[in-house]
Amino acid sequence: MSKIWTRMGDGSPVELTPAELRQDLEDGSADAADRGGVPGLNEDDFKYLEELFARRDRFVGVDVGNEVVLTYDGAALKFKRHCLFEERLHVLTMYEKMFGADTVELGHVDYSYKPVKPIVNYEQGTLEMGLLTTHSPLIYGAMPNLGLYTRPDGPCPNPMELLPQGKIKEARAAYEDMVEEAVRDMVFVVGSMYESGADGFNLDTVGASGDADVLAAFLALEKLRAKYPDIAVEVGMAGEFILGMHGELQYDGQRLAGLYPHQQVKLAEKAGAVIFGPVVNTNTDQTIPWNLARTVVFIRACSKAASIPVHANMGMGVGAVPVTDFPPVDVLSRASKALVELCDLDGL
Amino acid sequence: MSELFVQAKQAILATDKEKALEAAKRHLDAGGEPLEIISRGFVPGITEVGEQFGRGTLFLPELIMAAEAMMAVTDLLSAAMAAKGGSVSASPSGSILAATVKGDVHDIGKGIAIAMFKANGYAVHDLGRDVEVDEIINGAEKHGVRVIATSALLTTTMSEQKKLEETLKKAKLRDKYVTLVAGAPVTQRWATRIGADIYAENAHIGVVRVGEKL
Repeated sequence: MSKIWTRMGDGSPVELTPAELRQDLEDGSADAADRGGVPGLNEDDFKYLEELFARRDRFVGVDVGNEVVLTYDGAALKFKRHCLFEERLHVLTMYEKMFGADTVELGHVDYSYKPVKPIVNYEQGTLEMGLLTTHSPLIYGAMPNLGLYTRPDGPCPNPMELLPQGKIKEARAAYEDMVEEAVRDMVFVVGSMYESGADGFNLDTVGASGDADVLAAFLALEKLRAKYPDIAVEVGMAGEFILGMHGELQYDGQRLAGLYPHQQVKLAEKAGAVIFGPVVNTNTDQTIPWNLARTVVFIRACSKAASIPVHANMGMGVGAVPVTDFPPVDVLSRASKALVELCDLDGL
Repeated sequence: MSELFVQAKQAILATDKEKALEAAKRHLDAGGEPLEIISRGFVPGITEVGEQFGRGTLFLPELIMAAEAMMAVTDLLSAAMAAKGGSVSASPSGSILAATVKGDVHDIGKGIAIAMFKANGYAVHDLGRDVEVDEIINGAEKHGVRVIATSALLTTTMSEQKKLEETLKKAKLRDKYVTLVAGAPVTQRWATRIGADIYAENAHIGVVRVGEKL
């Protein structure tokens, strides 16, 4: 039987026999089910994925009726990464009018709340112009990015210098101080942009600095929800489980470290999120079928647990998309189709 | 005796330095071979610590504490071997120099990797973040390490890892070191392309591959 052409997690091409494809799907599913303590794929799922990968189509799409909302985090910044130096508002109109985006997101080049604080008045003006030139919901997005609160960029000692020295108590205290600083900045910036008319907000790449980063996002969200009861905030994650850099931080009585997407979403809901963006990391040493089976298991469990809309993250190195600057359309479209159709997603 | 191996393993899993040292001392007092309790007790313990960290069921502070317990017992057992006239070290051969490359300030992954290497008995010299290639090579020469490990989180800073390979070659130092590359955008394909010896998908794999290479 002819071999099935697909890719590795680093984007390089690979050919699998049907038996190898099935084995990778089973192994990826088992890995996620074991780690997350959630159900693996069933026989219908395996058949769906086998057929999806066996197709010779360069590009695939969801069946009619299965379309979902498409949103883009950091949209205004991504042109610059490809050396297309368009002004941010022009980029937003391109996303809306040419790329079929259902929401558009304005973000500053640093894409972190802290550096926006001193220039929030400039951002407010840009946002207001954006609201006048676009029709779809305009979201303001950035990361909590607790790393910016450590010396020399911020006031706190760097836990990653303290921890290797065995100074665990000091490192934990530094993380706790960073949480306070970050909450204050997020509440200030998001509040300012909300009062300028932003339709929604994205606390993005939450957890990039570990459990303290997640706690800061949730606490900021609580404060914002209390101050602005109708505010719409999406929480987008950084990784599939929350790294325990502090290890003992809790939210709503639950230890944050080690939580997987189906557990993260419940706490995001509790904090006041209206959309949740789970992440599953791509393993570059494994094939895309292995990665996709694994991703479907995690995202489906998250979607089932959620009471709010779930928009899975798809992009470089997440959502079974290879770690390449330009995601190959063959596996990107397959991963998108499978996540939407197997995981009952609300958006990507 | 096997009870002591279990105690040794459990002490590392519980990140309990005192209990780990107690197990090592009792083993030595009973006339046991130092390497036996390392291979049958402490190493299985630290291996499981690494696996649990990778699964998100054990966290960085515990990993650091397990590393400290491991270092304490390897020091004790190495000294016992030396006293017996043995030439075999309880620690893996070779030390490691770690740095985040120039232009990149992301050091969480490097910090995790350092903890994991220390937990497995390696001596690690950490040059920090945003480090020039020349500084990395000077550091490697100064500390006499076997492995140079670099981390890059950005596609724009990965090129520093290539620069390191080229600079080592120009200085005729390339064969002296094992180079390891890691970081979110780094892949096996990149490592192969630039000529690095090891690509580590995560900290645990880094420890395994360095062990194989040395």
